[in-house]
Amino acid sequence: MRIGRLETFLLLGGPVLFLGVFFLVPFAMMALASMQSDDGTLTSSHYVKLATDGYYWSVLLLTFEIGAGVSLLTFLLGYPLAYYLTFHVSSPALRRIIYIILVTPLFTSTIVRAFGWIVMLGRAGLVNQWLRGLGLISQPLDLIYTQTSIVVSLAYTMLPLMVLAVGSVLQNMNRSLLEAARDLGANSLTTFLKITFPLSLPGVVAGSLIVFTLSVSAYVTPSIMSGGRHLVMSMLIYQQYMVLFDFNFGAALSILLLVMTLLLITAYVLVLERSGRTTAAP
Amino acid sequence: MRLHLRSSIATHLALGTIGWLALAFLLLPLIVVIGVSFTETPYLKFPPQGFTLKWYAQFFHDTSYMDAFWLSVVLATSATLLALLLGIPAGLVVMRRSFPGRQSIAAIFLSPLILPMIVIGVALLQFATVAGFARSFFALLVGHVVVVMPYVMRTTMASLHSFDLSIEEAAQDLGATSAETFFLVTLPQIKPGVVAGGLFAFITSWINVEVSIFHSRQEFLTLPVKLFNYVQFNIDPLIAAASAVTIYFAVLAVIVLDMMIGLEKATSRS
Repeated sequence: MRIGRLETFLLLGGPVLFLGVFFLVPFAMMALASMQSDDGTLTSSHYVKLATDGYYWSVLLLTFEIGAGVSLLTFLLGYPLAYYLTFHVSSPALRRIIYIILVTPLFTSTIVRAFGWIVMLGRAGLVNQWLRGLGLISQPLDLIYTQTSIVVSLAYTMLPLMVLAVGSVLQNMNRSLLEAARDLGANSLTTFLKITFPLSLPGVVAGSLIVFTLSVSAYVTPSIMSGGRHLVMSMLIYQQYMVLFDFNFGAALSILLLVMTLLLITAYVLVLERSGRTTAAP
Repeated sequence: MRLHLRSSIATHLALGTIGWLALAFLLLPLIVVIGVSFTETPYLKFPPQGFTLKWYAQFFHDTSYMDAFWLSVVLATSATLLALLLGIPAGLVVMRRSFPGRQSIAAIFLSPLILPMIVIGVALLQFATVAGFARSFFALLVGHVVVVMPYVMRTTMASLHSFDLSIEEAAQDLGATSAETFFLVTLPQIKPGVVAGGLFAFITSWINVEVSIFHSRQEFLTLPVKLFNYVQFNIDPLIAAASAVTIYFAVLAVIVLDMMIGLEKATSRS
């Protein structure tokens, strides 16, 4: 459609103004606040505090460790599921059921899904009830509230995203390539390692990027599953804003999370592009 | 040959086992929540003991839950409408007209998808505190629109991308104005994508905690934030019923999406 100059202005004006005021200005204000002290004078003290206090580095490290663990776990579970769904399920009815099972959790609040885990594994949860009923324990066990339980429940939350990302790439793969490999005598393992997997890498990259960024910024799941014992960046930011009301230091923490996330994503994409260029030339 | 066949059957079984275990892992927490919401016991029990709807009755008669429920419905509906109103024109211009900065505008519009949601929430809180609208419905609304608009814009752009330009040009050559062309030719064609984007937008707003939590007050909570506050201190069949209601909503949305455009299509687009 041909769109005139005036129409462009009218159509784009609203959205640009909206995002400018409610998205870009708030971010600019936050960046500014991160460099201000309480009385409004410019200071680098917040960033100095972040850089020199090992505590913040350890929280950041834990956050990214969790993000990496979740990406790995969703890949290990999600790739086989996506592969199975694409190449081994041909019945439309079964495919439909699998898609419903994948999408329904995505449409359910993380809080409800975390609640499901609390019901099963929490101190007053079902497993503890059963164990006590059987007389095996007298005090409830802490089955959750560990770093592992944060990773597992986040992976549970993110799994459909990985499956859908990998699945859409596998689905659109040119199947004649796979047949050609078979016809030329490659066994299924060789076909998978030499053809299918390299071609599906864009899906894996897209999936793990989504999973990683959502994991490092997740707030609900870690704060419920940690029971307050392990602090990740988003919980620290929440504390600064809502408990300590230190908006300036909170802003510095937010900027740190933002910048580190973007840096890691960029590094990841660059590394993959480089290795892709050398090993899997088209 | 036989070896080949046997190994492929083994692969098939192994993949199927992992696949269905992963699917069971996805379903289990939802089934447990729904299950315990029917128990007659005043504490959580699974499998439920007996069958009662009293927790649902309690949920629907509790005005604080109902207030939260309706706030979430109104918020998600208005955020989706506003996102459609802003996202469709933006997607249209970005896909149909070339101008300097086009790519950067598209990137900025879509960036809320990859930025930490909690940072979007606190940035807006900081701004709203200065601008004087902190913790209001307005703050909730604009925050949600920022977060859900990319879904609308992305599906609009994807639909326009796979759309035959010559049909639009034919309409305009035959004398249709650009508004007529849009409503009579373009919109009917991109409708499935727009519907999918709108539905994703609605659901994203409906289940959001990370933005809402900074813009709610004690007497003014969305349903997910209310559940979140409650779960940290108390778990009982009442909250299981409240959670189960949101699961039924999700199932309903999934069925609608599946019937209107098909889940495979909808999820590969978004």
